[in-house]
Amino acid sequence: MKWYEVISNIDRRIIYVLLTVLVILPFFVRVTIPQNIMPQTQRLFDFIESIPPNDKAAMITFDYSPQTMPECHPMAQALLKHCFGRNIPVIGISFDPQGPGLAIDAFAIVVDEINRLATSSEDSLIYGKDYVYLGWKSGRIAAMLDMGESISGVFPRDYFGNAVDTFPLMQRIKNYKEVAIAIILSAAAYPDDWIRYPQSRFGVKVGAGLTAVMAPKYYPFLQTGQISGMMSGMKGAAEYENLVLKHGYARELGTAETGMNSQSMIHILIIIFILLGNIGYFFSRRRSK
Amino acid sequence: MKRKLPLAICFVIGIAMIIQFFIPHPTSLEFASMIYKWVIVLMVFALVLAIGNLIRHHGTKIKKKKQDWPYSIVTLTSMVIMAVIGLFWGIQSESLFQKIYLNIFAPLSATMFALLAYYMASAAYRAFRARSLEATLLLAAAFIVMIGFMPFGQYIHPRFPAFAEWVMRVPNMASQRGILLGVAFGSIATALKIILGIERAWLGGKE
Repeated sequence: MKWYEVISNIDRRIIYVLLTVLVILPFFVRVTIPQNIMPQTQRLFDFIESIPPNDKAAMITFDYSPQTMPECHPMAQALLKHCFGRNIPVIGISFDPQGPGLAIDAFAIVVDEINRLATSSEDSLIYGKDYVYLGWKSGRIAAMLDMGESISGVFPRDYFGNAVDTFPLMQRIKNYKEVAIAIILSAAAYPDDWIRYPQSRFGVKVGAGLTAVMAPKYYPFLQTGQISGMMSGMKGAAEYENLVLKHGYARELGTAETGMNSQSMIHILIIIFILLGNIGYFFSRRRSK
Repeated sequence: MKRKLPLAICFVIGIAMIIQFFIPHPTSLEFASMIYKWVIVLMVFALVLAIGNLIRHHGTKIKKKKQDWPYSIVTLTSMVIMAVIGLFWGIQSESLFQKIYLNIFAPLSATMFALLAYYMASAAYRAFRARSLEATLLLAAAFIVMIGFMPFGQYIHPRFPAFAEWVMRVPNMASQRGILLGVAFGSIATALKIILGIERAWLGGKE
């Protein structure tokens, strides 16, 4: 067998072993490579920075599932830290039935972290006053539009079964007029619906945190300003974590930073294998000619 | 009558919803809100239908001992267990429901998805060949974006990430916009065809 045939016919088990090793390695060998911040991530961060404290709420929709958790879950946590750090109330909702489990996990992690460090009740986050999670609702387009009239009309009870109108936060936040931005954390085309319906009808500002495969679709909306900012894949999550840390809203980086190292290693491996395959292909084609 | 009535309802509600979208009068908003609530309720019925369908499908599979029928037992048992735990012991962040979700369902689900990485790496190595000009351009664009979006892409050249970003912002956006417009016009045409009763496939059955 010629050398070029060897490099274009590497056993797939070798690829699998190398892939496994490179995914695991960054979890043991901690390397922090400075992130260059992409403009869309910076725009989302700046938008949240521009929201006045204790005024309008940020609505975060948890529309991702465990399959895309490594990309979207760090985004959710970094966003929550940013909003809570700036005293921006947060309303969580889900239109993906797999979202609620991850949403309450993200809230629990961030709220525990902040409340553990709190020295007084003023510094602590209180459910119903600083944040609420309203849960999952079917018929998302209808629900999105109806929230323009009344959020509690669509979600009369929160995820835990409490009457939404009894929360001090929800007595203040009635509809989209009191929502500064709706940020959609998703692995599917959910931002499309937010742009088409609540934005065109009620002028809701839309932000997004999307998986890397979904993000390219939303560049036209970023250019037109229909999306106010976007986190794109694990890189976007790592960038947001860095921004949140740099501005003092977090004490340490989240899981996206480590995940990014694994992802980079895998990308390099894939590039090397594609190059090897093409070199082999090039020489075998030349030989056959 | 069986076909005319749904077509008439579709036409009336379709036209009414288009008109109300542009009229922010309280009566119009109230009407829209009522319809939205109906939609939400109808979607819940669809969910009930889906559960019924799931039970029937897997029930038949178990009864007739079709291929892989033991997995159907796992599916139905899991559904019943999760529903019972959620209904009777709650769904709070410290609940058993949430523990099962985070410690069993989430890792299993993520594992299935993670397997894709192996197939993708292997497939990219075997199939991603510069066989033509188009394939070479695709290959080059993929390398630029992958390297540019890696944290150390900036060490290859300080402007490399900006170049990758340009690929996304200009050529990618141009093609995405074309696709978006095509889809949007197609959606408008289909919606109009359904409202006007030209497209009747949604009614089911034969013409």
